[in-house]
Amino acid sequence: MALLEVKDLQVSFDTASGRIFALNGVSFSLERGEVLALLGESGSGKSVTASAIMDLVPNPPGAIDRGSIRFDGAELLTLSGNERRDLCGSRIALIFQDALAALNPVYPVGWQIAEMYRIHGRKPKGGVKKAVIDLLTAIGIPDPERRARQYPHEFSGGMRQRIMIAMAVALEPDVIIADEPTTALDVTIQAQVVDLLATIRKRGDAGMIFITHDLGVVAELADRVAVMYAGRIVETANVFELFEDARHPYSLGLLASQPRVDTDEDELVPIPGSAPNPLALPSGCAFRTRCPRAEGLCAEVVPPLETVGPGRQAACHFPVSPA
Amino acid sequence: MNQPLLKVQNLSRHFGSGATPVRAVDDVSFEIAQGETLGLVGESGCGKTSLVRTLLKLGPATSGSAVLDGVEITKASGRELHELRRKMQVVFQDPYQSLNPRMRVDRLISEPWALHPGAVPKARWREETVKLLESVGLRAEHADRYPSEFSGGQRQRLGIARALTLDPTLLVCDEPVSALDVSVQAQVVNLLARLRRERNLAMLFVAHDLAVVRHVSDRVMVMYLGKIIETGPKQSIFSAPAHPYTQALMSAVPTPDPRLRGHRKRIVLEGDLPSPANPPSGCRFRTRCWKATSICAEQEPGLTARTAAPGLLTACHHADAETGH
Repeated sequence: MALLEVKDLQVSFDTASGRIFALNGVSFSLERGEVLALLGESGSGKSVTASAIMDLVPNPPGAIDRGSIRFDGAELLTLSGNERRDLCGSRIALIFQDALAALNPVYPVGWQIAEMYRIHGRKPKGGVKKAVIDLLTAIGIPDPERRARQYPHEFSGGMRQRIMIAMAVALEPDVIIADEPTTALDVTIQAQVVDLLATIRKRGDAGMIFITHDLGVVAELADRVAVMYAGRIVETANVFELFEDARHPYSLGLLASQPRVDTDEDELVPIPGSAPNPLALPSGCAFRTRCPRAEGLCAEVVPPLETVGPGRQAACHFPVSPA
Repeated sequence: MNQPLLKVQNLSRHFGSGATPVRAVDDVSFEIAQGETLGLVGESGCGKTSLVRTLLKLGPATSGSAVLDGVEITKASGRELHELRRKMQVVFQDPYQSLNPRMRVDRLISEPWALHPGAVPKARWREETVKLLESVGLRAEHADRYPSEFSGGQRQRLGIARALTLDPTLLVCDEPVSALDVSVQAQVVNLLARLRRERNLAMLFVAHDLAVVRHVSDRVMVMYLGKIIETGPKQSIFSAPAHPYTQALMSAVPTPDPRLRGHRKRIVLEGDLPSPANPPSGCRFRTRCWKATSICAEQEPGLTARTAAPGLLTACHHADAETGH
């Protein structure tokens, strides 16, 4: 049994110009000890997927129309509000992208980390204060006793992101969802945070969902990758297969668009056009308007996510042949 | 080398007065040749944007000089400044904020021609607008639309078209693709490369994405806390940098190749960026540098040529020392 299993999830939002389907039947599973990257560009549905798992889809205007999210065998979508809140934070934790917005500016950071224990009624061995100091030490904050009494604005961006990570791992959750945790950071600070996340995943057997648009970070951290486009998963593969032998034309297009810092390439090969308007998605395959392989069938039938090899799937009528 | 198109000498831009002004740009010198692309990299707060704004005369220089095509930028005013603006144009980061939402595209594009009579006669505005739109990959009918009707990538194309209306010789690109998704970013990067070839444009390309900078630049300049700490041909800067900060920066960039995971030497810098109002004495990087010795606190290292790599200039007392991290 998978640790977390998302099936056929559909999430929509009411907007002034009509109903937007942010997720159109998303299915994936996460095993213990694995890092699954959700890779996609703006509007592909990565963050909405995280929100749905954490029960953070604002309703209204948003709604989970159908689907299932099973965690450790239990269906999350039919739990009561209280039962769900108990799980979120303690067994499933979220690391937000914008630590400055996610931390409360008027409380010291130590108090905010300790809140995790208070709210979930946990009494760590040695007391809450010791637990907080230990956590700050573990995430590499020097002088933790003093720093615990300081406020978020007294920390740099990278340190604030570490504090978010400390809060997320405080109760040793089974699932950690990291929503673009390094996107707003400078490259040297990003490297520190990626290293910290890599250390955390080695320490326990939690599963991690890593949401990002950065192929480089995926290559550093992920075991498996689910590529998202316009509210659907279009390909899943282990990280080596994806980078060496992608099957979906969109995945291949993304890889060819990415310049590299370690070589000189002649010319980038971009994906033509831009992401479709979510209010007017193309019929059939949403990628077909930008796809070099599209044919008549692509406009008529939505390609299902089908097995294309051991442990890998692609949603394409004309997938790229194995390398 | 021919006369450089842009020659910057000892340029500084300080904010605030009194004993401890913030030295955002501090004694910076460099050149850009005709048709050359110079990449400028560095992390938040290093002074990239202040340098760009000073060069564009969107803010005054505290001291020093910047000469574009024989004209002193820092002292230009009135008519001279007006002419200068023809020669240097800018592509901003955010295509949502840099285009006036109330102006139709044809007016957005032709506005510079109205300000510079003689550039293009009014009778030819429509024709030239269409030509420009097509040269950036847009279509003639786009001239009658408003910016809100375009996607982010298309808006950045509009921003580029507008920057080219007066046929500048220097294009300053301040994080031109940072707001775009990877697939669209590649389109704009290729567009800039093509325009540069066709028009023999010189570019100052500022970005924090090092892979993009490597792709578009001929030479690269690395800034740290208001100073240029290393500059040279892009192959040297990316493959064999001599400054410890550049080495750390390059080692931190994640490579999109999972096979390299764990095999690359990563230099993790200690601590945070010091305050530019109170920079460390001597070498500004010394507080985070693993090679630092007492000389680094006493003497500020100047940019000096490395014999091993032609064209590479490094500001480090220990650049030649093989003390590994």
